[in-house]
Amino acid sequence: MLAAYQWSLIWEHKVDFLKGLKVAIEVSLVAMVLSVVVGILLALARMSKPPLSWLAVAYINVFRGVPALVSVIWVYFGWSLLLGINFTVFQAAVIALVALYGAFISEIYRAALEAIPRGQREAGLAVGMTPLKVFMRIVLPQATKIAIPNIGSMFIGMVKDTSVFTIIGLLELTRVTQNINSVTFQPFVLYTAAAGLYVLAAFAIDFVFRAIEKTLTTPPQGRIAQALHGRRRRRVEQVIRDFQAGAATA
Amino acid sequence: MRTTPVPPATIRTMSDAEPLESHDALDAGSAVVELRGIKKSYGAKQVLHGVDLTVHAGEHVVIFGPSGSGKSTLLRTINLLEEPSEGSVRVLGVEYGPGFGGEKVKRGGPLQLRRHVGMVFQQFNLFPHLTALDNIARPLRSAKGLGREEAERKAAASLQQVGLLNWAAHYPGQLSGGQAQRVAIARALSLDPKVMLFDEPTSALDPELVGEVLAVMRHLAQSGMTMVIVTHELNFAREIGDFNVFMDEGLIVESGRRGFLDTCTNPRTKQFLAAVL
Repeated sequence: MLAAYQWSLIWEHKVDFLKGLKVAIEVSLVAMVLSVVVGILLALARMSKPPLSWLAVAYINVFRGVPALVSVIWVYFGWSLLLGINFTVFQAAVIALVALYGAFISEIYRAALEAIPRGQREAGLAVGMTPLKVFMRIVLPQATKIAIPNIGSMFIGMVKDTSVFTIIGLLELTRVTQNINSVTFQPFVLYTAAAGLYVLAAFAIDFVFRAIEKTLTTPPQGRIAQALHGRRRRRVEQVIRDFQAGAATA
Repeated sequence: MRTTPVPPATIRTMSDAEPLESHDALDAGSAVVELRGIKKSYGAKQVLHGVDLTVHAGEHVVIFGPSGSGKSTLLRTINLLEEPSEGSVRVLGVEYGPGFGGEKVKRGGPLQLRRHVGMVFQQFNLFPHLTALDNIARPLRSAKGLGREEAERKAAASLQQVGLLNWAAHYPGQLSGGQAQRVAIARALSLDPKVMLFDEPTSALDPELVGEVLAVMRHLAQSGMTMVIVTHELNFAREIGDFNVFMDEGLIVESGRRGFLDTCTNPRTKQFLAAVL
């Protein structure tokens, strides 16, 4: 009875679906950026001396084990009572994701940081850079390059995890789908559309992260990366030409 | 040239930590680096047993010896990449070392020290995510606070010094080992160091690429740069070594001026030389 499926519903509600997807991606994007910051700090804490490293290990092991659904209820209903702050659903969703994914990403970064040869840090120190500058300019960029593919996978996971935030009423893709379904009773059609959009988002994220990965290879590979690096290359070439011109006239 | 053999070093304490003779007597240049009673332990394992070494301005000091003799560790104490457990590290008259047995010393900071000391590593340690030009310009901006334009101009000048200006836009992964090491030398030189440290600069190179790096170092030596070189290239050591130091088991066994490789007397030194020459 295929005729009973009203596939046209998808097109009729396309704006709602896309709005839901937009919310899911917005939450994930904000949470991603914050998770990377939290992850790097946690990784550094984990690699430092006790008792700081113990605290980091405890945090990482606890929060890697908490499901997103539990995390968000805990933040939205629990923390708000405890702290007397009324988080918006968006804020609660972001905090819930950062709490979990910060722990995962710290492990990704720890592995990446440990993969950077000691000589890199030593060379940075030997040329008179401060330890902070060495970390920010030498070690972190190289570690990030290693971490990027895994962070991409995490990002895809995040977008999918936003679906559970329907529980606190975040108007993301799954919630939107539920709402439409409650009036139209076409779950197969509507959830097929939702699944398709999630998959599409995953492909798009994968594409973006591959592009970033290629930009970070040296020399940069791929057209996007080369276009981005073109400016830098032309600048270096200009410096060389200027220098040679200066040397010729001198 | 006649050389005075130095007796095998013993574990020196503060009281007998006088400069190695022959060395001081012959050199008129002022002391750039003065190491006194340098000891270094990793946990229970002691790798330096109290080493003294003075490097004068314009002098080329060559340190050689078997693996694990502590020669690299000694070199790395000069710019405090290895913090000595005990001893005095004086560079250009300023104390940077920990001193002796709990004594309180006024010491300079590592950043100040490293402004005067350039270092070249066995594994080059170029920054793989930066172009050859940026490998030099980045430290000039971060450590010396130069503006971008000035840093890049200076970096280009340094690359030209080592004959690699045309490779400025290349990344370390696109350079041969010899080229990479020359960029690393340019990077260290760009900071106008008063002394250059070389930690086995040719050991990681294909044999055919050793020559170009040695040529740059030779040129640098002729320009009057003060250099301390840990190397296994004994023919090169013979050529440029004003002062030669043989180390074994965390001690200076024997040292001497030019011609040392042919006139050394200590049986351990001779045994080592016989094995490698």
